[in-house]
Amino acid sequence: MILTDSAFVLLLLSTFRLSLPIMLTAAGGYFSEKSGVAQIGLEAFLLIGAFSAAASAFFTNSMVAAYLIAALITALFAQIFCLLVIKWKANSIVIGTAMNLLAIGVVPLISKKLFDSTGSTPSLSLVSSGVFPAAVLILTVLVCYYLSEKTLWGLQVKFAGEKQEALAAVGVSAQNRQWQAVTLCAFVTGLGGAMLSTYLSSAYSPLMSAGRGYIALAAIIFAGWHLQKAIMISLFFGFCEALQIQAQSNALISAKIPAEFIQTIPYLITLLALLFFRTKQQAPQQLK
Amino acid sequence: MSSRFAPWVGFLVGLTISCLLALAFGESPLHVLKVVATSFLNSKYDFGLTLFYTTCLIFTGLSFAIPMRAGLFHIGSEGQLTISAITAAALGTIVPEMGPIGFFTVFISSLLVGMLAAWIIAFFKFYRKAHEVVVAIMLNFIFSAIATWLTINRFQNPNSQNPETRIIDDSYQVFKSDPLKLYFESSPVSLFFIIAIVMCVALYILESKTLFFQKIKSYGANPEAHRRFGFSSVAVLSSVMLMAGFFSAFAGLTEVLGNTFQFKIGFSPAYGFLGIAVSLLARQHFLGIMASAFLIAILHKGASDLDLETQFLTRDFSRVLQALIICSVAASYYFFAKKGKGSNS
Repeated sequence: MILTDSAFVLLLLSTFRLSLPIMLTAAGGYFSEKSGVAQIGLEAFLLIGAFSAAASAFFTNSMVAAYLIAALITALFAQIFCLLVIKWKANSIVIGTAMNLLAIGVVPLISKKLFDSTGSTPSLSLVSSGVFPAAVLILTVLVCYYLSEKTLWGLQVKFAGEKQEALAAVGVSAQNRQWQAVTLCAFVTGLGGAMLSTYLSSAYSPLMSAGRGYIALAAIIFAGWHLQKAIMISLFFGFCEALQIQAQSNALISAKIPAEFIQTIPYLITLLALLFFRTKQQAPQQLK
Repeated sequence: MSSRFAPWVGFLVGLTISCLLALAFGESPLHVLKVVATSFLNSKYDFGLTLFYTTCLIFTGLSFAIPMRAGLFHIGSEGQLTISAITAAALGTIVPEMGPIGFFTVFISSLLVGMLAAWIIAFFKFYRKAHEVVVAIMLNFIFSAIATWLTINRFQNPNSQNPETRIIDDSYQVFKSDPLKLYFESSPVSLFFIIAIVMCVALYILESKTLFFQKIKSYGANPEAHRRFGFSSVAVLSSVMLMAGFFSAFAGLTEVLGNTFQFKIGFSPAYGFLGIAVSLLARQHFLGIMASAFLIAILHKGASDLDLETQFLTRDFSRVLQALIICSVAASYYFFAKKGKGSNS
């Protein structure tokens, strides 16, 4: 037996902790992808969310304000993406790449201006218990589910990704729906970023998203662009991350599987899923 | 105005916005522009360094431009250059000295690894109809993890605290004393620069002279028509991705066999992604890529000097600059297409 009982409980607890940002990012990315806008800028949204949460928690000393400000700033940041991709028809992958570069570059500059450091933000004295992030997660996921499955708006978002002519025929602008979906995506992902810097750690550190944006994207694809499944898979990917952290301290695990390889499990199984399970294309028809 | 000028106007707009942004951080835009645009002229070494960046960017630019001709969006260059760089560094330390044969073994196997890594994307695209961007993202992470693991656990340089491999065998350091490197005072540039230029010119000539490239373009323009003519789609997908991998691998080799003679984790400042900017700016034109790679290299070199030259800006500004240029170049086509004769993206 590699794990003792207490280590097992710890592993489960850290799985939940570590899945929080991935689940939120997957829920956010789902809307963008579903509306037909390929979203590889999730990483940027996470970074912007994480930094604005850490900075605003430092200045306001309030967790609620930090989460709200993070989500709003991220949604504002996403307007650049929307303007370029939806209004000016630039390629979403190119702009997604550029957004990632922009976030990586602009955060240290602002951080230097605010805190005179291009590295981490000052450590927060505000300690977050697990209750608040868990509540935010449950509420957000429920709202996302409601919006996507139970409202006319959600249906229209899906049509924007599947068949825009159908939307045009009933007098709804597909562009508007995409714009709203991407903004919602950034808002929700910004909340995920806030959890990274205020719950999983107590400060913003450079590149702290560490590929979670792509892991969430992998979860969406693995789930076949299905919201509930994507959330479930995010939980599994959170487990992989927890396992990897265990492996770094547990010699018995790391002797069997190196941590670097546990890290790649989300990407590997997504590729395997594409190879073996995805018999029909489940991507939104007009995803580009 | 023809849409040919669109990316250049976009480039200027991006540069202007970046410099104005410097104003928000309390720096004079003109001073920033001066540092960014002229620091490559400071010394022969600096110029050589800029040519080294140019070399890598030409290779990754080609690696993006060739699949684009077949309508494939290739963002896997970063992973391919990483995996071939680690292959070169690893083989360079374990293959015993065999003179030129040994060198070519290392050289060719690294290229093959890069090509194979890229071909996986074509495989998924053709057999599983998976989107090339998705597969490329996954592969980038997997290759980077493999390279990290190999570096730390198998080939770590015992004389260094940094995660990097041992220095490759002396007999593989062929480019250590090549004339170009010596001329530029042992800066990172090497004869790979000449190889890059030759490749661009060769591709430019081949593109207009061979049926092969016409087939690739016809697939890009209309895959269905291409198929009905009886041409093979899998051949096109495979060959463009093999070529893309070939050039990505060259970018990795430029570093390992031409510059540091070892693999350092994180050696690439996202050459693979900057290649997208290079290629977009040149509108995938093989000769234009040389010019745009040089331009982006100048900016990249210049921005990394901002740490010393300005009070508030850091080398991170380089990322902002690149991002804003990519954005404005990508959006520029929209404005030119509206007035001009039609869009051409």
